Amino acid sequence: MRNGAIALVVAVAGFGAALAQGGPHDAGPPTYQMRAPESGGDRLAASQDAAAIFSHRCGYCHLPAGMGTNLLTKQQVLAGNPPAMGLLTNRNDLAVDYVIAVARNGKGAMPPQTRVDITDAELKAVAAYLAKGKAR
Amino acid sequence: MELKLPPHLTPAQFQTALKDFASVVGPGWVLSSDEDRDAYSDVYAPGDAAQWPPSAAISPASVEEVRAIVRLANRYKTPLWPVSRGKNLGYGTAAPRLPGSIVLDLGRMNRILEVDAALGYAVLEPGVGFFDLYEHLQRTKTPLWMSVPGNAWGSVIGNALDHGIGYTPYGLNARNLCGIEAVLPDGDLVRTGLGAMANNKAWHVFPFGYGPTWDLMFSQSNMGIVTKAGVWLMPAPETSLELIWDIPEEGDIGWVIDTLAPLKIAGVVDQSIFIPSWLGKIVLKGQRRDFWDKPGAIPEWRVKELLTQYKLGYWQVALRLYGDEGIVKARADVVKAAMARHLKTPPVENWWRQGDPVNAMDITMGVPSAVPLQMSDWIGGRGAHLGFSPVVPATGAAVTDQLKRSRKIIGDADVDFYASFTIGGRFANNVNMLMYDRDDAAGIAKMRQLFDVLITETAKAGYAEYRTHLGWMDKVNATFDFNDHAMRRLNERVKTALDPNGILAPGKQGVWPAAYRDLSGGGKA
Repeated sequence: MRNGAIALVVAVAGFGAALAQGGPHDAGPPTYQMRAPESGGDRLAASQDAAAIFSHRCGYCHLPAGMGTNLLTKQQVLAGNPPAMGLLTNRNDLAVDYVIAVARNGKGAMPPQTRVDITDAELKAVAAYLAKGKAR
Repeated sequence: MELKLPPHLTPAQFQTALKDFASVVGPGWVLSSDEDRDAYSDVYAPGDAAQWPPSAAISPASVEEVRAIVRLANRYKTPLWPVSRGKNLGYGTAAPRLPGSIVLDLGRMNRILEVDAALGYAVLEPGVGFFDLYEHLQRTKTPLWMSVPGNAWGSVIGNALDHGIGYTPYGLNARNLCGIEAVLPDGDLVRTGLGAMANNKAWHVFPFGYGPTWDLMFSQSNMGIVTKAGVWLMPAPETSLELIWDIPEEGDIGWVIDTLAPLKIAGVVDQSIFIPSWLGKIVLKGQRRDFWDKPGAIPEWRVKELLTQYKLGYWQVALRLYGDEGIVKARADVVKAAMARHLKTPPVENWWRQGDPVNAMDITMGVPSAVPLQMSDWIGGRGAHLGFSPVVPATGAAVTDQLKRSRKIIGDADVDFYASFTIGGRFANNVNMLMYDRDDAAGIAKMRQLFDVLITETAKAGYAEYRTHLGWMDKVNATFDFNDHAMRRLNERVKTALDPNGILAPGKQGVWPAAYRDLSGGGKA
């Protein structure tokens, strides 16, 4: 049994709630995180608002207290990183190609995303946004 | 994933068909790369996802485009597998029953066409997800609540059409549908109920038509493609009270059902009451190896330790009442008195009033969440799940009988037991969740065999699944055997009459058009 690990993940599960409430000292129940509305216009075209696309297309799971955030927070903490790294927008180690590969192929509990879920143009913008300028 | 062509098509014919489909939706919305086929396969498949391979996907943006695609599909004999958003996880995701079918992804048809706050309904296209509708209601401050399923990533209409269940007073999602527009397999367009009259103003408020009423013909069905539908929504209550009891022993489920089902039937409790076993709570606390690191089912003694350590009962009843405060209090008194006859410990009580924050994880308050999918992480690796879901009468005797049967079969297979019963009225939906690692071939083989036995033995006892995965659609259909499978024969006569080319979702729920009947075969393609 890995009782230490149990205590850790319970603490991490609580983190999602704290994050949603705005701080680690206010641990009420998590509130719903509104995604950005769907951007209008041609989804197949480039040059869209990447932050809004990320929020709308990936926000089902990757906003505070989302399923993806909860699982990634657990992974990050086990790897010795701060729990805030569970949010993809806080990460500094993501590369464009990696983000695209994970979205299209899936990873762990995450299923692959279709090109209706997120188009190539949208994913390219999101990957650049999450990679914060790193090309690869 | 390698290309698996639709039956009877040559590569050249297939390419010509795709080109014509592209002329309807635009080339960017015909998705036919290997990567696209992977994304539309059953990503949670018990075994190789290539068992149910799509050949391509097409994503239309309007009913006119859907009709044009259906006409082309008849011309080229390309079977279509319509999905609303393709998130039917655990039941096949977006993958088709017939290998080589083209997935018709309606995700781009995501307009919220109308919301009537006073009468409590919305008119939606199939691509509208639970998150989309929830956020629309929030942004417009519309005082209506949705009924959401455990995994709310998918489509409001798609979930209702697949007989999904939620946990509010509107928990029978198919019952909330009122007035459907559907494209028939020949491309014709019909509207059900009062919508059969052009411009009828009461289409989405009266649940019947004049003469035969066809609405549910389009649920769990391959008779048409639903392009919009009315959905009834619950008025936001003034208050709500959650009453939580931990139910100590496995055998207590009998009195719990016999106590709560009559209150549900009488209308004292109006929600669908979800009663999960302990594993449903502990999956959110970590992975299986954190609690038991050996193969085989977690032994009884360890289960008892875990229940003590985490202060859990074997079952949990988290019942919710809705309405004006006086009504809720009166109902709560009746429910608490009934439960107190069996359990001395009083419930935990959580009041909510208009203006209070709503817990984003609380699906009994109509908030959509994908967090319950975290259970996929329980086994570790590329986790996935199958649900074995029979329906039984909501009596303690029937539920206990069902529990003992599935408990023994799952125990004999040395698999962890994770069951829930949801009292939806006069019935209880029993979901037995079977979790596996998609890369563990031996574990998957065991799950498949176990699933076969569960279907067979449960049918012998007189019960059937309400919904199932692609791989068992024929097998479950075969359990409906009254008068030499008269219902299947009726469905297939209607199917073949409406769809002589068999282009619409052949094999869906075990209903095959004559054109492809020879490709059914034993539950697997």
